[in-house]
Amino acid sequence: MAELGLFLVLLKDSALALGGLGSLPLVRQDLVATGLVTDAQVVQALAIGRLSTGPNGLWIVSLGYQIGGWFGAASALVACSLPPLVMVPATIAGRRFLMTPVFAGIVRGAALATAGLLASTGVSLVAPDVAATAWWQIGIGAGALWLTYQGRLHPGLVVIGGAVLGMLLGRTPVI
Amino acid sequence: MRELARAWIAVGTQSVGGGTSTLFLIRRLVVERYHWVSARAFTEDWALSQLSPGIHLVALAGLLGSRIAGWRGVLISVAGMMVPAAVVTAAMTAAYGTIADQPLARAALSGMAPATGGMTLALALIMVRETRRHGRAAIVDALVVAAAFAILTFTRTSSILVIVSAAALGGLFLRRERPTSERAEE
Repeated sequence: MAELGLFLVLLKDSALALGGLGSLPLVRQDLVATGLVTDAQVVQALAIGRLSTGPNGLWIVSLGYQIGGWFGAASALVACSLPPLVMVPATIAGRRFLMTPVFAGIVRGAALATAGLLASTGVSLVAPDVAATAWWQIGIGAGALWLTYQGRLHPGLVVIGGAVLGMLLGRTPVI
Repeated sequence: MRELARAWIAVGTQSVGGGTSTLFLIRRLVVERYHWVSARAFTEDWALSQLSPGIHLVALAGLLGSRIAGWRGVLISVAGMMVPAAVVTAAMTAAYGTIADQPLARAALSGMAPATGGMTLALALIMVRETRRHGRAAIVDALVVAAAFAILTFTRTSSILVIVSAAALGGLFLRRERPTSERAEE
């Protein structure tokens, strides 16, 4: 994919997502389904995004690096940084509209849809092929779900825990 | 301006994992240490940032930077937080790439995949929890989530179409109350 094409895809996916991970289903549909990256690369990016500094939405930068090196990373950085900044002029121009029930409804609808899309994506990451998914991988997924939902353990430690268990129990990577 | 840049570079390089840890560090620096904005202004900007597309912490950095120093403040705040963190992220990706084909790294990935999947599922549940309503409205909310889940799982419909449709329906039918903007995930 040409560099400009990558930039535009990531810009579009960031602009239509809520939250740093909200773009995950969109990116997966645009880049994994088309064969440009694999699910394994997406998982690497998500894990590094959790272990790295700054917002965890920077997983897109990791993915950009895997696709296009430092230029891909820079493209991804700009693509994920621009859409949120629309709030600066929007707040100056229309703070009142942003606080209206209509706008709240728009955000609520998008947030609920994003939650459903993220849930679907999460299931497919835990068990991309149900028949080939080991019991311990289901267990890691369930444990990560519980720990993250409770919020009692740093997300980076959850990722490291999964990696350690994978090294101990994994023989044949499923993805 | 240098102090502003230093503060945001600290945010970008010292907060690990994003979300709440990054949010707390931003608040500590801009409200408590440097007194650039009041606690009330910070809370207001944070609530507005939850309405933004993309990474909410970028919107927060932009809104705070705008309050502190106008458009130069926006540029310095966002670049200060994002550029060093992006360099760290890309460097970590490059380092991992050198060992990605090793058997041990592949085994680690086989554990990281379900871990990130579980975390993604948890984030979906947290998003639902934090926009939760009661009574009939809760049933409507649950139907929207279930429909989005089913569409992506069982069809090839575009995710973008799902989000845009849900946003339009939300503007028409889900507008009785504002979302509770307590989400800390950016």
